[in-house]
Amino acid sequence: MKKITIPIGPQHPALKEPISLRMTIEGEVIKDADVRLGYNHRGIEKLAESKTYIQNIYLMERICGICSHSHTTCYVQAVEALCGLEVPKRGLYIRTLVSELERIHSHLLWLGVAAHEAGFDSLFMYTWRDREVVMDLLEIISGNRVHYAINTIGGVRRDISEQQKEKILEGIEFLRKRTEYYTNLGTTEPTFVARISGVGKLPKEKAIELCAVGPTLRASDVASDIRKDDPYAVYDEIPFDVCTADTCDVLGRVVVRVKELIESYKIVEFVIKNLPAGEIKIKAPRKVPEGETVSRYEAPRGENIHYVKSNGTDKPERLKVRAPTLANYPATIEMLKNGFVADIPLIFAAIDPCICCAERVVELIDVKSGRSDIMTFSEIKRKYFCEKKRETL
Amino acid sequence: MNQQELIEKIKNELGEKIVEIKGPSARRIFLTTSTENLVNVIKKLKDCFSFHHLSTISGVDNLKEFEILYHLANNIASLTVRVSISRENPVVPTICSVIPGAILYEREIQDLLGIKVDGIPDPRPLLLPDDWPEGNYPLRKDWKYQPPEEKIPGEKK
Amino acid sequence: MSILKSLIYLLIYPGLLFLFVYSTFCEWFDRKLYARLQNRVGPAYTGRAGILQPVADFFKLLFKEDIIPERADRVIFSSLPVVGLAIVLTAGLYLPLWNIDVSIPSYNSFQGDIIVVLYLLSLPTLIFFLAGWHSTNFFSTLGGVRVLTMLFGYEVPLFLAILSPAIVADSWRLAEIADFYQKCPFLLLFQLTGFFVAVIALQAKLERTPFDIPHAETEIVGGTFTEYSGKKLAFFRLMTDIEMVVGSGLIATVFMAGFPGNAFVSFVNFIIKTLIVISILSLIRAACSRIRIDQMVNFSWKWLTPLAVMQLFISILVKGVFWRILQ
Repeated sequence: MKKITIPIGPQHPALKEPISLRMTIEGEVIKDADVRLGYNHRGIEKLAESKTYIQNIYLMERICGICSHSHTTCYVQAVEALCGLEVPKRGLYIRTLVSELERIHSHLLWLGVAAHEAGFDSLFMYTWRDREVVMDLLEIISGNRVHYAINTIGGVRRDISEQQKEKILEGIEFLRKRTEYYTNLGTTEPTFVARISGVGKLPKEKAIELCAVGPTLRASDVASDIRKDDPYAVYDEIPFDVCTADTCDVLGRVVVRVKELIESYKIVEFVIKNLPAGEIKIKAPRKVPEGETVSRYEAPRGENIHYVKSNGTDKPERLKVRAPTLANYPATIEMLKNGFVADIPLIFAAIDPCICCAERVVELIDVKSGRSDIMTFSEIKRKYFCEKKRETL
Repeated sequence: MNQQELIEKIKNELGEKIVEIKGPSARRIFLTTSTENLVNVIKKLKDCFSFHHLSTISGVDNLKEFEILYHLANNIASLTVRVSISRENPVVPTICSVIPGAILYEREIQDLLGIKVDGIPDPRPLLLPDDWPEGNYPLRKDWKYQPPEEKIPGEKK
Repeated sequence: MSILKSLIYLLIYPGLLFLFVYSTFCEWFDRKLYARLQNRVGPAYTGRAGILQPVADFFKLLFKEDIIPERADRVIFSSLPVVGLAIVLTAGLYLPLWNIDVSIPSYNSFQGDIIVVLYLLSLPTLIFFLAGWHSTNFFSTLGGVRVLTMLFGYEVPLFLAILSPAIVADSWRLAEIADFYQKCPFLLLFQLTGFFVAVIALQAKLERTPFDIPHAETEIVGGTFTEYSGKKLAFFRLMTDIEMVVGSGLIATVFMAGFPGNAFVSFVNFIIKTLIVISILSLIRAACSRIRIDQMVNFSWKWLTPLAVMQLFISILVKGVFWRILQ
């Protein structure tokens, strides 16, 4: 068969969000791949320049549903560094607790999605049933199943009571038993292992060269984790290990994420047992002093980095967000070359794509065709109205 | 080695290539240099001080000039290299020869701020649609939002 | 009188009407068992315990819009589902239900009808390939190519496994084979390997996990069925259901000593035996993940075919050893 270019996306059952991958294939082997972004823009960085720091917390949360706490924590840490605030210990512990619960939730979701892409629907149903346990725990703590809204500049907004602590420990115990079952299942079920082993190879040098992040990097035997390299919140006080695997393929990424689940259970238990008494937040000033800072955070998908520059008023001068999925795209293209068409959804799912995280940069006005104009007109009207009110020039 | 020693070593290695270097807080270093020395500085940082990992490239619009920040990281600190370029002629050399993973970030600043990156291997715009008008760079501070004209098919003229 | 019986045989039981109704029941059974194995509820609201769900799906599809791609050949595109349905319904007529008289060959039971059934059951694969080819869509073509590649894998073990009980029974007629094993059922124990090979090969023929490669949803959007919608898709789905019933009926006839007794007893026998085979198929479906096409062909030529050949060898040995008793 001669070379053909097929489109995977923007609409495709393997993708949960729109992204366009153009594959040049010959028979069943992929020769080249090209990624085109931009289908999920919402204009967040530009919008953040016209909103105050407190309003920006809620904007940052809506970058993504699954990693909402990562973006708010990263942003709030940056602003606290600019103001020179020292958050009380109890607030930091609660922040860490919600971070780890979010990581557990995200990894269970990912296990289900990867199993579904491989055709293993039974594992998909089991892991998503267990995910309900984590979401119930998060609802007990914060009141929401997604978008927890628990951060504020200077600390957290809600406290944890004794009964909530007991419920969390029970939930973690249940999940630990189930995770051991999944470890067994994921690594010994022959049809599943045949599907994911040897697929999407990313050698160690290439992973470092293409600046991959997160479990994608750790599955290529590089022990790089922001929680150890650049500790934030209370990670310098909690004992845990960085999980790596050395098979450099999708099986390695499954193993890394399952090991991380087990580490997260230990961290949650440590946090609950050693929660100190005290305040949960301190008052933050409205106007942030001039300066700039960089804040990094280990989201479930990798390194999340926020750069905030302030100019002394109550609105930021520049807010730059780089979500982990964007850093993994060059590595994905490298992994897709010389793979099979049948492996495309698995390779793409193995980096844990969160495409709405990766595209926020500028207001996208869809000037393409009549139909999309009319569809987005009410949105355009609202944005124009908003923007006009808050123009600072 | 800790952060202070790292700053001293970098000062000694790179000497007159850097304009200024400071470490305002734990694990954060800010380094300023010029566009001519940019590629050499980053190459030295990568080879001698193991700053392999490029987190992202930010572009900031100051109304007087553009500032491009390259955020690098190793296991001791996170280092930001700053270059300033003029608004009338914004050109900066590419670092893809040193760090190949920088390609998507350079395409992004080219696309949204209108900064020309010299020698970039893949100059296509990254995020804006294909029929976006030329010269229209949304992330600049003086960019005004103009809603497109509403055309209803078949309306009375 | 015999004409009346023939008409009832062709149209009502075990012909058209019975196969339609029973295949919807089997689809419900399969979906419910699959769901319960995954800790879900499965179909629950339409009719008592969701038993009318497949019927509801069929009628819903009949009402949907029917789109034919612009460059596709209208005649072939539209006639393929109907032809496929006709083929599997014809194959179902040869199963020995309802007092097939072993001494008199008739239009639906004659020497060599096991070969006819196997041939008719492999035609749907060609129909799927043509459906994929005539859809003029890249994903459908890829699905059609995968269907034919899979055919090279599972066809040989299936044929060998189903023909080995026939060799021991010394006949190519389904009614005679069933009759033979009803007389000496202990010989069935030697056919156990063949039974498992035939069940796995049947799972591949029906394109169910782990062999649902041709219409893998997450990879090629729908495979051979991407462009089919409305009535044509309804007929294709009915065709796969009836293929499941006929395939399991064939395995039950050959490996489980057919359906003895008069009309009512053989009916009950048929239901129980086909449900056993369908439960095994559902169990395999719930426990495995999809494999790649090259792994599938590898697997069938390295494992299934040698096992089937071994089964053939065992059958020949059995025939030689028990020659006196059989005479």
